[in-house]
Amino acid sequence: MYQINNYLRGFILFIIICYFIYIISLLKRKKLELKYSLLWIFSGLVMLVLVIFPDIFIYSAKFIGIEVASNGLFAVFIFLLIIILISLTVIISSDSAKIKILVQKIAIMEKRIRELEDK
Amino acid sequence: MKILIIIPAYNEQDSIFNVIQDIEKFCPYADKIVINDASTDRTKEILETYKIDYLDLPVNLGIGGGVQTGYIYAYENGYDIAIQMDGDGQHCASELYKILVPIQEDMADIVIGSRFIENKGFQSTFMRRIGIGILSKMVYICTGKKIKDVTSGFRAVNRKFIKIFSKEYAQDYPEPEAIIVASKYNGRIKEIPVVMCERNNGKSSISPIRSCYYMIKVSLAIILQKLAKMER
Repeated sequence: MYQINNYLRGFILFIIICYFIYIISLLKRKKLELKYSLLWIFSGLVMLVLVIFPDIFIYSAKFIGIEVASNGLFAVFIFLLIIILISLTVIISSDSAKIKILVQKIAIMEKRIRELEDK
Repeated sequence: MKILIIIPAYNEQDSIFNVIQDIEKFCPYADKIVINDASTDRTKEILETYKIDYLDLPVNLGIGGGVQTGYIYAYENGYDIAIQMDGDGQHCASELYKILVPIQEDMADIVIGSRFIENKGFQSTFMRRIGIGILSKMVYICTGKKIKDVTSGFRAVNRKFIKIFSKEYAQDYPEPEAIIVASKYNGRIKEIPVVMCERNNGKSSISPIRSCYYMIKVSLAIILQKLAKMER
């Protein structure tokens, strides 16, 4: 049966706590917007639950037919990462649409300013 | 009727003045505006020296965003007809009336100047013609409209579509997509034979390496446009 070493769990727990401290400090320094941090906080919570209660994962992995629980773990995290990456692309796309509109407005306004100055 | 000629220009210092002179010679009745898409050469100086109307984009948006700026300007300033025409001398001002007349007579909402109807003048390279042929087929499948020169950037548009394009216009390689948008809004699209020249200076925005990307992107865009619901 699976038995996860308690030292290892403690170490991973420590890393996850560091991860949360880092995210919170980014939020405090306003380097990260709250709405974009939610996905990262959520994936941190998933990691936390898995470290504290590894059995949940081991049994559910067995249940859906994954032989080695760690493979299931990788699958879950690759999936989470893909979701985060897609959401980043969505954010970039909406930003570039906004930038486009701003650039166009600026160009039109700049022409008006030039015309007003010439008068 | 107020007519605006939109001329997108990115690094066209050698050709832009000739293009403007030609327009003044053949279409003195039309206003013209050059969209300087953050050129890194002397394009802007030339525009300023010869007192040519221009819009100066602070950062490079690419052809789609540039042309759309022209449509926004046309819409805000109450133009009835907008004509888009490349700044590299590829499209001749002497041919401009051909695409203008059907709009003036309200025979069409959008008129596309086409190289491939009478096959006169510069015909582009063999590979490109094949690519354009494929895109043309795709446009036909999606819209039921037979348009041969789907990538032609020599177009005239009436007030209705000035408004639509000022809100909805693809960013890069926008020409085939604009046709799909137009058919989505039930535009009457007409293709008129024109003679085009080989560009005087500069290169096509589509280099051989990018052609593959271009084909995939435009094909995808055509399919997506077909699927997308009408926004308003």
